[in-house]
Parts: sequence; structure tokens; C-alpha cells
Amino acid sequence: MSALIHDGERSDHLVFLLAGELYAVALESIHEIVKVGPITRVPRARADILGVMGVRGRLVTVLDLRRSIQVQDAPIDARSRVLLLQVEEEDVGFLVEEVREVERFTPSQIEPASVLGGIERPYLRGVARRGPEMLVLIDLLPILPGREGSAPNVGGQGLSFSGPGAP
Amino acid sequence: MAERRDDAPDKAREEFFSEASELVDGFGRHLLALEESVENGHGPDPETLNDIFRGVHTLKGLSGLFGAATLSGLSHELENLLDDLRLGRIPLSTAVLDLLFDAVELYGRILSALKGEEAEPREEVLTLLASLAAVSNERSGNVAFIAEYELDPETLGVLTEYEEHRLRSNLQAGLALYRLKAKFPLATIDSALEELKLRVRPVGEIITYLPTGDGGDLDAIDLEILVASRSAAAELRQAVDSDAVSVDEVKKRDLSQARTPPAPRVGERTDDSAMDLPDGRETPSPPPVEDDEPAHASMHPAPHATEAVVMPAAAGGRDISLRSVSQTVRVDIRKLDRLMNALGELSLVRGALLRYAEKLRSEPGTRRLGMDLLGVHRAFERQLAQMQSGILEVRMVPLGQVFDKLARIVRQVSREQNKSVHFVVTGGETEIDKLIVEELSDPLLHMIRNAIDHGIEPIPERAAAGKPDTGTVALNAYQQGNHVVIEVEDDGRGIDPHAVLHKAVTMGLVSMEEAKSFSLEEAVSLVFMQGFSTRDTATAMSGRGIGMDIVKTRIAKLGGLVDIVSEVQIGTKITLTLPVTLAIVGVLTFVVEATVYCMPLSSMEEAVVFDSALVREVDGREVMTHRGVTLPVVRLARLFSEPPAPQRATKQFLIVARVGTRRLGMVVDRLIEQQDVVIKALGRTLAHVRGFAGATDLGDQRVALILDVPSLIEECLTAAEGRRANDASLAFRFGERS
Repeated sequence: MSALIHDGERSDHLVFLLAGELYAVALESIHEIVKVGPITRVPRARADILGVMGVRGRLVTVLDLRRSIQVQDAPIDARSRVLLLQVEEEDVGFLVEEVREVERFTPSQIEPASVLGGIERPYLRGVARRGPEMLVLIDLLPILPGREGSAPNVGGQGLSFSGPGAP
Repeated sequence: MAERRDDAPDKAREEFFSEASELVDGFGRHLLALEESVENGHGPDPETLNDIFRGVHTLKGLSGLFGAATLSGLSHELENLLDDLRLGRIPLSTAVLDLLFDAVELYGRILSALKGEEAEPREEVLTLLASLAAVSNERSGNVAFIAEYELDPETLGVLTEYEEHRLRSNLQAGLALYRLKAKFPLATIDSALEELKLRVRPVGEIITYLPTGDGGDLDAIDLEILVASRSAAAELRQAVDSDAVSVDEVKKRDLSQARTPPAPRVGERTDDSAMDLPDGRETPSPPPVEDDEPAHASMHPAPHATEAVVMPAAAGGRDISLRSVSQTVRVDIRKLDRLMNALGELSLVRGALLRYAEKLRSEPGTRRLGMDLLGVHRAFERQLAQMQSGILEVRMVPLGQVFDKLARIVRQVSREQNKSVHFVVTGGETEIDKLIVEELSDPLLHMIRNAIDHGIEPIPERAAAGKPDTGTVALNAYQQGNHVVIEVEDDGRGIDPHAVLHKAVTMGLVSMEEAKSFSLEEAVSLVFMQGFSTRDTATAMSGRGIGMDIVKTRIAKLGGLVDIVSEVQIGTKITLTLPVTLAIVGVLTFVVEATVYCMPLSSMEEAVVFDSALVREVDGREVMTHRGVTLPVVRLARLFSEPPAPQRATKQFLIVARVGTRRLGMVVDRLIEQQDVVIKALGRTLAHVRGFAGATDLGDQRVALILDVPSLIEECLTAAEGRRANDASLAFRFGERS
């Protein structure tokens, strides 16, 4: 399996759709891809955290990747999927609009994130070209709250909450 | 996956640490017992010394395997010292005891160093090693005594050095020596011997037992057992209570009589008895470990040479540890969690089964089938419940695990402070969830330290107050329904509520008016307030306080309560009430707008119909009079910014939550039912969210959040207090967790 992932310098990526754009993450970081079940909202959590979901007896914290990286919101539909990751004993899921395919990139296909200009985002890894298409390569770990070098600028009720009784 | 690769060595490492710390804990526990027996004038208990020796010996082997050089070096020196001690070569003095206690502490530190938690205490280890060596040089010689007794030289010849030492010290102490002769069938020799040992133990000490090979019976074995006892022969006979065992006293030799020359049939007997022994599988004797002294044994090639005595002896120590290992399994608690999860899945299956059964039963054509399926379902449900309680049982450990460590702390702290403290522990066998035990050691440590630090007075002060010089710190635990209660009580100077109030006002924790409204008991519980510290005035205000807010927070996190009662000059008693397990909680499920939440039953007083007409707004905060008392009220829909349900409930309910003495009314829309649920922790991703203790699967694939009542009460009540006091610091507190 590891031979498949690291074939020389090439690496497998999972390609998915967010707000009509193509994104990709390293395949080895994804533990599983599941359908979206009932998600229980966690009050006062960061705005990109949709809530918690049960997956075969395990509790998964689900984030809406669109909100995490601040692209346009869209409703959950039949094509929506949750990418499951296991991070330090915790199960974390990222909601994406649609999972496309696995793509293998050679280093020459990948350009650094700096070509995008703008503010540097810790989760941006670079841009990959596939024919005329452009895919944004991202890292999911820096998006999670409470971890080193994370904290993307996401406003949440939890952060601005100022005590009960306060409107 | 990449991180999986390190699994195996990690596991070995984890096991090493867990086994090593168990051994060190055992060492400490045995030392305390040893100290007690020495203080009571009984002299060191030989069995305890042996246990310590075995433990250190195992630790040496273990650390050698793991390549922990410092650990194995220290163990080696200790082993030598302990060997000298158990063989009576050096006496067990207070100085030696202190060295041993130092060793326990150093072991702990070396282990932490190996884990990378702190630097290796190199200097201290060297100092200790030097002291150990110095003690070993003080070995004293021994007077031969044994020759005065009518014992076969061949018997004497096969005694190990240890057995000889025990024999000698028993005879020196004036005990009588008995020879027991028994014939046991080979098939049951183990159990028969065990039983004999049990019977003899209360009245005497078994020095050794040797197969004599006199009987010539192939299916049975003759044993000669030497027992030292204070009792008369008749009493010993009564204790043994068996016709198969004869008891005779070994008389002192008439010194005028010539010594019996060594028997010439040494060679034959060697072979016979070696064969008679059940090939060392299950050693009949668990004599002390002797594998470091093979030279000694081989110097006496008498009756049943090396195989018969020394080998089983050497194997004896190992045999015991092997046997105990095979009966206990060390389990990573996460594995149990996984099992618990799987069980949760099974109960979902059960739910589905029930639905289908009900459906079948309700249709006329399949009624019978439905009934049968319901029967199956009931059996399934019973088994599930059994499995659940089985897994819970595995998670339970006796509180004694923590209590033992505390005894060491008491010893250390009271020495540091030059106070005399008697530590009384009861209820160590009370069982509680392993996870809770882990979390308990810090709070208990704080409490015990405080009790000695600030509670127990120095001797002159106690004398002046007419109290005995030795103060008492009592630790007691017992189970009460679904809770475990732990009490820490001291007979020290107590907490002066006026001093606490004064301090709290000076520190700006409470206002002057509030201070006036406090009862004396309430005033004492101010020591739990965050920021309340007696650090600079510990002596002046005769109080405790350092770390008490930590105690409260930690205990609240476990879903527990802390209560404190104190009387000036009489003493202080702190009571912790904890849930027995964290894995399963009884909850009340309820609905807020359209969302289901769970409230732990342990944190609630009652649930009643909510009458909004009773609510008053005071100082921007809703309160109502409930059962004659003012109750702060929070509307959960507002607190949780719950999206409105399509249909508004016409009637609302009030759940009265309580933690310690603080109460909070929570307004909800509908009550569902009481049930037991399996708690699952929220991940670190949600660590910034306050107010939820975890989540659970309710069985319909939906996850429901479980309220963290202590944190909600803390938040709602202090938020109101805090607004008055200091807005900025409050904002910081909410922010720091995100």
C-alpha cells in the first residue's frame, strides 16, 4: 500500500469538489470516506464545526471544510461526503461537496502555494496542474482548532460568547 | 499508515513502564509495612523483606531487558543490601529504612526521566549508591547457634543461607523448633502443602521442608518440615489438625553427647529424593529467590542436591511471579473503550431487532413469529446487560492503588515539617473506575499535603492545646449507591471562617456585603474559590488553601462534589463524592427546541413544570423562588442559541441542577426519559467548547450531547458575579480555552 502512495516522488491525492472548485489532499491522510449521517450541532463551537456524528459507534467531530477555508456555503445533498481522519486518537471528519477520484501527481506538476499570492494560509500546500484544470492542494490538520500552527481566522459564536444572559 | 510502524516497541515500552511502576509502588507499600512492624517492635517481617527483594530483583531484570542502565545499576546495589537484610547480615535500622525510602523516590524519578519527563537524577543516584555501599560494609558476623539442636547435619547442610538465617534468628529469639513429618500423595501434594502452610502460618514459621524419601512409596512423598513456633507442641498439633502429619519438638542437644557423624547414604538419598520430587513443575516450596547464590548451595552436595533444593528454590521466585502474571492481564483502557463502543453498536442492533419484532407482532399473520422474536430479543438484551457490567467490572480498580502512594507522601511531608502524623487508611478496597483513580491522585495529594501542612500543628502547639503529640490524618473510602465517597479528615487546628472571609474580602474575591451574608459553613468553602490563596499568610490565618481550587476543578471534572466541614481547634474534614464509573451515566433526556440533550442524574435535584410567572429579573439575571429559596435560572435555548423548532412547546420544564451547594435552574422544552448511556468524550477539536461532558448515541443513530453541569453552573453563576467584578478578566477566561 505504501508503494502505491509513494511511488518514487509521486504521491496519491484524493480529489474533491468545494464550491465548484477542485481541491486535493494527500490520500494517506484520509482514513475513510463516509456518507453524511445525522449531525448533532454543538452549541458555541467554532463556526466551521458542524457538530458531532456517530460512525459505527465512534464519535466524529465534523467540520464544514467550505466554512473552514471560507469558500461559499452550499447545502448538504446526496453527493456530500465526510472525509474521516484520525488525529491523535480523535476522529475528525471534513464535509466536502463531492469526492471525485484519486490522482497521482509528480513534483513537476505541483507549484508552491505562493503562486496564489494573497495572505499566507497554513493549510495551503500548493497548486497542481492537470491539463487545463487547476487543483488546490491542501493540508487538513492545520485547520483543526487547538493545534500548533493552526487557528485559521474563523469567527465562531464560541469565541465571542460573553456569558449567559448576555444576548 | 506511517504512525502504526512504531506500535510494537511502543507497546513494549508502555508495558515496561506500567510493570516497573507497579513494582516500585509495591516496593513503597512493603516498605511502609516494614517500617510499621519495626516501629511496633516486631522486627522486620521476613515475608515482606522477601517480597521487596523479589520486586527489586524483577525490576533489575526488567530494566536490564529495557537497557535502562541507571535503573538496573541501582536495583543491583539495592538487591545486595536487601539480601544482606533478609539474611540478617545487617540489621534494619531507621537509617537503612530511610535509604530504602529514598530509593523508592529515586526509582520514580528515574522512571519519569526515562519517559523524558524530567532530567535524570544522576547526582542523587550516585549519593544513594554510595550510602548503600557504606551500609553493606557494616555486615555483622553471626554466632552459630544451631549446632545446639538435634538436627541432622545433612538437614543442616541443605538449608539455604536464608533458611539458616531464619532458623538462627528464630532460635535466638527463643522460639521452639518442631519437626513435622507428613506423607502426601504425589497427585495432590501442592494443595496439601498449601493447606498445611495456611494452617501453620498463624502459629509459626516454616523454615524449610525436605523430602526424606524414607517411605519408598511411589505415589506418595514423605516430607520433613521444620517449623519455629512460640506455641507448645499440642497447640501446633491442633493447628495442623491432620492425622497424616506428626509433630515433634526438636530438642536441644545434650552437649555431652557426641555429634552424629555425617550419614554415609548421602549419595542414594540424593537420587531418590530428586526423583521423588514432581520434577519441579509446581515447586512444593516457594522459598526465597536464591539464584544469585548458586555457589553456596553447591558447597553442600548433601541429600537432594542442587535440583531438589536450589533449582526449585531459584525457580520458586520465578514460579510465583509467572503464576501471578498468568492470572492477571494488563489491559489498555482504550481497548476497553473500544469494547464498550462495540457494545454500543450492539445495542443499536438490539433496538432494530425490537422494532422488527414489534412490527411482526402487530400484524395478525406474523403474530407468533413476532412473539418468538421478542423472546429472542429479551435473551439478547439480558446478555448485553451482562457484558456491559462485565466490561465495567474490568475497569474497576481498588482505591488502595492511590492510597498507598499517599502513605509515602505523608511520611515524607511529616518528616520535612518535623510533625508527628499517624496516617489511618480505611476502605482501600473500595473500587472505582480506573480513569477516575488516575485523576484522583493529584487532588488527594493536595488534600493530604494541606492537612499536614496547615492542619496538623507542630508538636508544641498541639501540646498547648491539650492534644496528643501525634496528629491523625484519616483517609476513608466507601461506596454509597452509584457513588464512591472519599473522606480526608485531620485533627489539626481547623479553618477559621472569619479569617477566610477576611482574606477573601481583602483579595477582592467577595464584596463586604456578600461577606456578611455568608454563613460560617459557606465561608469555609470559600477556600475552594479560584484565586483564593493562603500562600503568603498560611500561618497567620491558620488555614489551608493552596491548590484547593485545583482540587475542586478536578473533582468537578470527574462529575464529583467536594464538601468541607471544619471546626477551629477540632479539625477539618473534606469529603469527595465521585461517580463509580465514568463510562456509563444515568441521564435524563430532554429537548430544547428541536435538539435532544442529556442531563446526568447525579447532578440534578428534580425536574418540574416551569412557571415563567415566577421569574424575576435581578441585576440583569433571571431568578425565581423555588421551594422557598432563590434559584438562578438560565434558558438553555438562549444559552445554546438553539435554532427554533417548527412548533413551539406550550409548556416548559425546569430542571434543577446542583453541584455542591450551588444550584441552577435550567429551562427546557420537553422531558423524554431517564436512561443509562455510554459516555463518549468530545475530541480535542471541541476542547474550546464549554458546557458539555461528552456525547452519547441514543440508539436512533442520533448523537446527543451530555451537559457538563459543574462547568455550566460555574459559567452561569460566576459569569454574573464576574460581570460585577471584572469584565476583562472574564472575557479572557472564555477566550483562553479556544
